[in-house]
Amino acid sequence: MEEIVFDVFARKNRGDPLSHVGYLSALDAELARVYAWKTYDEENWFEMCIVPRSEIIPVNRTDGPFAQARAGATTSKGRAKAGGRS
Amino acid sequence: MTETAEGLKAESTEVQTAFRRLVLGLADTKRLLGIRYSDWLLGAPSIEGGIATSSMAQDEWGHARLLYAALKDFGDDPVALEHQRDAADYASWDPLDHPLPDWAHLIAAVVIVDGALALALEGILEGGYEPLGGRIGKMLGEEEFHQALGKAWFQRLATGEGEGHAHLQEAVEAMLGPTVRCMAPGDDAHERLADRGLILPSSTLRHRLAKRLDPLLERVGASVPTEARLDNGWDPRRGRGTGHPEEEAVERARGDRNRALFVE
Repeated sequence: MEEIVFDVFARKNRGDPLSHVGYLSALDAELARVYAWKTYDEENWFEMCIVPRSEIIPVNRTDGPFAQARAGATTSKGRAKAGGRS
Repeated sequence: MTETAEGLKAESTEVQTAFRRLVLGLADTKRLLGIRYSDWLLGAPSIEGGIATSSMAQDEWGHARLLYAALKDFGDDPVALEHQRDAADYASWDPLDHPLPDWAHLIAAVVIVDGALALALEGILEGGYEPLGGRIGKMLGEEEFHQALGKAWFQRLATGEGEGHAHLQEAVEAMLGPTVRCMAPGDDAHERLADRGLILPSSTLRHRLAKRLDPLLERVGASVPTEARLDNGWDPRRGRGTGHPEEEAVERARGDRNRALFVE
C-alpha cells in the first residue's frame, strides 16, 4: 500500500489568509483528512484543508519541493509531527 | 421533549437506577476504550496513525470524565467512581475486557464499539435529558473523526486477502454480538427508559446500527444481529456480561500508580 503526501492548510479566523501548516502521509484522502485534523490540532482552526502534494502546480521554479513532488515523488513516511513544518 | 435533572429525580427509583446504569456503562466503556487506544500509540502502521490514535484516546478519556461528572446528579461521587472501584464493579462493555492484540482489532473496536457508543449517545440526545445534551453534542463532533478513521482503515483491511483481513474478520466476530447486547440489550432496565422516552428502544438502536455498519461489515461476511441474547451470562445490575475488565487495565483506569505519588 503506497502512501500519498498531503499538504495541510488552515486559517484561525474567517477572513485570515489560508496558511501552510504542515504535511503528512496517508493511504487515501479520507485518512489524510482525519490525520490532518488530529495532528495539527494546536489551534482551534476555523477552516482546514488538505491537498495532495502532486496536485500543486509550481509557478516560478522547477527545483522546489512541490515541483519535485509533482515529478513523481509521492511517497513519504514519518514526517508529520516532528519536523513536519515547511 | 426535554428532561431536567430535577425532573428525573421525580421519576421512580427503577427509572433513575436504569438511567444511572446506562450513563455509568458508557463512561466506563469510554475510559477502557481510551486505554485500549493508548496501547497502540506506538504500534500504529504509521506515525500519523499513532498520533490519531493518541488523540482519540484523549477524546475518550475526556468523554468519560464528562459522563462521570454527570452522575453527580444521581448522588454519586465522581472521584470515587473514577478512582475507587474494583474491576468487578466496572460496567464497561465486554469486548474491552482484554487488550486489542493487533491493529485489525483496534480498527474493529473503533468501528463497532466506538460506533455503538456514539449511537447510544445519540439516543440519549434524542431523549432530551438536558444535563447531558450540550456535552453529547461536543462528543459526537469528535466521534465523527473516529468513525472516518475506522471506516477508511476497515475498508483497507477488508479489501486485502491476507493476514489483515483474517484478523479483522476474527475481531468483528468476537466484538459484534457482545457490543450490540450492551448497547441495546432489550432488558427491563433499557426498555423502561425507552418507554419513558429518555432513550431509543433497543430495536431502533439495532436497526440504526445495522443501517450504519452493515455495508462495511458485509465485507467480512458479518451483519449486526437483530436480537440480543440475555440467557447466557448477563449481569442486569451493570448492563453487561458477568465478567469484568482485567485488573491491570482497571489499575490504569483508576490511575493507581499516579495517585500513589500524591502527598497528603
